[in-house]
Amino acid sequence: MTRLLSSELLKLRTTRTFYALIGGAVALIVIIAVLAAALGKFNGTETPGRDLLAVAGLAPLFALVIGVIGVTTEFRHGTITPSLLVEPVRTRLMAAKLLAQLLAGLVLGLLCYGVCAGIAAGILSSRGIATGMSTSEWIGAVIGGAVATMLYAALGLGVGALLRNQVGAIVVLLAWVFVIENLLGIIPGGFGDGIKKYGLSGVGSSLARTASHGTRIGQLPAGLLLLAYALVLVIAGTMVVRQCDISS
Amino acid sequence: MLLVVVAVVVVVGIVIALFGWDRYRGSRQAAVGGSAAQPTEEVFVDPDTGRRMRVWYDGDTGRREYRPEQPADAALGAEILAAGPATDQADREHKAHPVRGGHQPAAPFVGPVGPRVAPPTGGGGDTAIKVTGLTKHFGGTVAVEGLSFSVAAGRVVGFLGPNGAGKTTTMRALLGLVRPTAGGATIEGRHYAELEHPAQTVGALLDGDDLHPGRSGRNHLRVLARAAGVAPARIDELLELVELTGAADRRAGGYSMGMRQRLGLAAALLGDPRVLVLDEPANGLDPQGIRWLRDFLRSLAGEGRAILVSSHVLAEIAQTADDVVVINHGRSVLQAPLAELMAQRNGGMRVAGPDVARLAELLRADGAQVERAGDGAIVVADRTGEQIGRMIAANGIVVSELAARGESLEDVFFELTGSEGGPS
Repeated sequence: MTRLLSSELLKLRTTRTFYALIGGAVALIVIIAVLAAALGKFNGTETPGRDLLAVAGLAPLFALVIGVIGVTTEFRHGTITPSLLVEPVRTRLMAAKLLAQLLAGLVLGLLCYGVCAGIAAGILSSRGIATGMSTSEWIGAVIGGAVATMLYAALGLGVGALLRNQVGAIVVLLAWVFVIENLLGIIPGGFGDGIKKYGLSGVGSSLARTASHGTRIGQLPAGLLLLAYALVLVIAGTMVVRQCDISS
Repeated sequence: MLLVVVAVVVVVGIVIALFGWDRYRGSRQAAVGGSAAQPTEEVFVDPDTGRRMRVWYDGDTGRREYRPEQPADAALGAEILAAGPATDQADREHKAHPVRGGHQPAAPFVGPVGPRVAPPTGGGGDTAIKVTGLTKHFGGTVAVEGLSFSVAAGRVVGFLGPNGAGKTTTMRALLGLVRPTAGGATIEGRHYAELEHPAQTVGALLDGDDLHPGRSGRNHLRVLARAAGVAPARIDELLELVELTGAADRRAGGYSMGMRQRLGLAAALLGDPRVLVLDEPANGLDPQGIRWLRDFLRSLAGEGRAILVSSHVLAEIAQTADDVVVINHGRSVLQAPLAELMAQRNGGMRVAGPDVARLAELLRADGAQVERAGDGAIVVADRTGEQIGRMIAANGIVVSELAARGESLEDVFFELTGSEGGPS
């Protein structure tokens, strides 16, 4: 498994797309966080630090895409064939991919949430605005965000394995996060609130402690819920990959 | 509000990162290549086969296709009979790309060929590949139906059939990539997924295009070597062997078809496997690439590896294979040693020269069936080229021609597969 994991990590590190996505995520977060921290008025909020940290919520979305690409690229370019020739046990290959994605997601999450927290705390304090967060709250939020990013990468991997079509999987996931969950959230009553609280975006922001009061759940239940989502999708995706004929 | 702006930026960013990137890369490559945008065509003579080839080259995509100018039958006949290299102007690239070990004249096709006499199905304890009643349906389409054959250790088996006959599906089922509907296949007695060290047991080249365009050739091999537990030093060795050292650090997306195919061969050889499974390895190769491959396969076979190599062009593997398995529409049509197949279809040996009348007498005295051809030459029905050659040498006879006369292998192939040689 060590051999396979190192091979999977090398796969990630030897394509430019991976670096482009990581770089893109960090650059976007830095730009938006700096602008928002420097120009924001923060009148109606008690926790400007938490509001700014929400900018790092971009990281899980990038992780989602990295996860999808981690498996769909192999089908898109046919490298799944040589990969499976070297490791014919598909469950093992998928397990190695999962570990690699968890690692990549964790690194991306720590980087993005860490940088964002640093920018928010630094700029706010230089402007004399209280962040409204204690050090332990900052640390908890950064770790929670990193875990969310990590699990999003796994979730992307699962959906990628389920669909095996790169564009399709990315479109489905982004549509779900940006459109479908928001639309479902509008539904009045318990269902809409449930989606806001327990949907993908909801648990992600609860985990990073950036969710607003009404939709927030505890970090532990949010983490367990996101883990469950990711597990279900990864298991389903692995089962599909185990069954499918690699015939092209 | 901020969230909406961010969302839009993210989506645009991702789209650019994913799709714009490829486009950008593609356009830049075209610019760097600086080739003419219009596809070009030129004709030259393949120095190996003496066949006139038409080259179609698309400067935009870098795609290069080689097609024989003559009909396949005539071209193959020329290939069999023409032992020496053609004298016409050779391809310019050829000199820039020397073939290792040089090229030997084509070996005679007819008559006993050394110890290659065992039938392909005669596998004992040393059976490298065994396919048993393999059946695969894709939906309602039958790809392979009840196919059985085996490859003994150390033998080269040509796996032949027209396009769409089920060769690729058979190989993919053998390698655990496709799940058989019924029957199965084993390598050294085990299913592929049960092999302890698959890369060290079997090397396979299925599609040379199976690589990430953004990854360099060396990194492609590094990724596979790590998973297979192969030492990095082996990568340099293999890159040298397939003559890709110079291009190893370039992105594989810019490789020519031949380079991709050779990279695929290097990947197949990573674990120094005892068994090789090669699906149409000559596909997309230019003439010098095909010659290189032929020499390469010969040297691999010489090292005692079992090789299953598929092709839809018999000539590609005629000089390498010990046995042939011919399939059509997913079913076995013929399994036999190549020499036997050739002997059956033997049209006799043709001998010409000033002394053939004396040779004819000597051969008749030896009990051979000798006929006169119209142009003064003779045709010997039941002697091999070597037997006749010995008699010529023993008696100091001068001849100007000694050649196998017969139905071309390609004719045999068409007859067996019931195809006319047109697109199938």
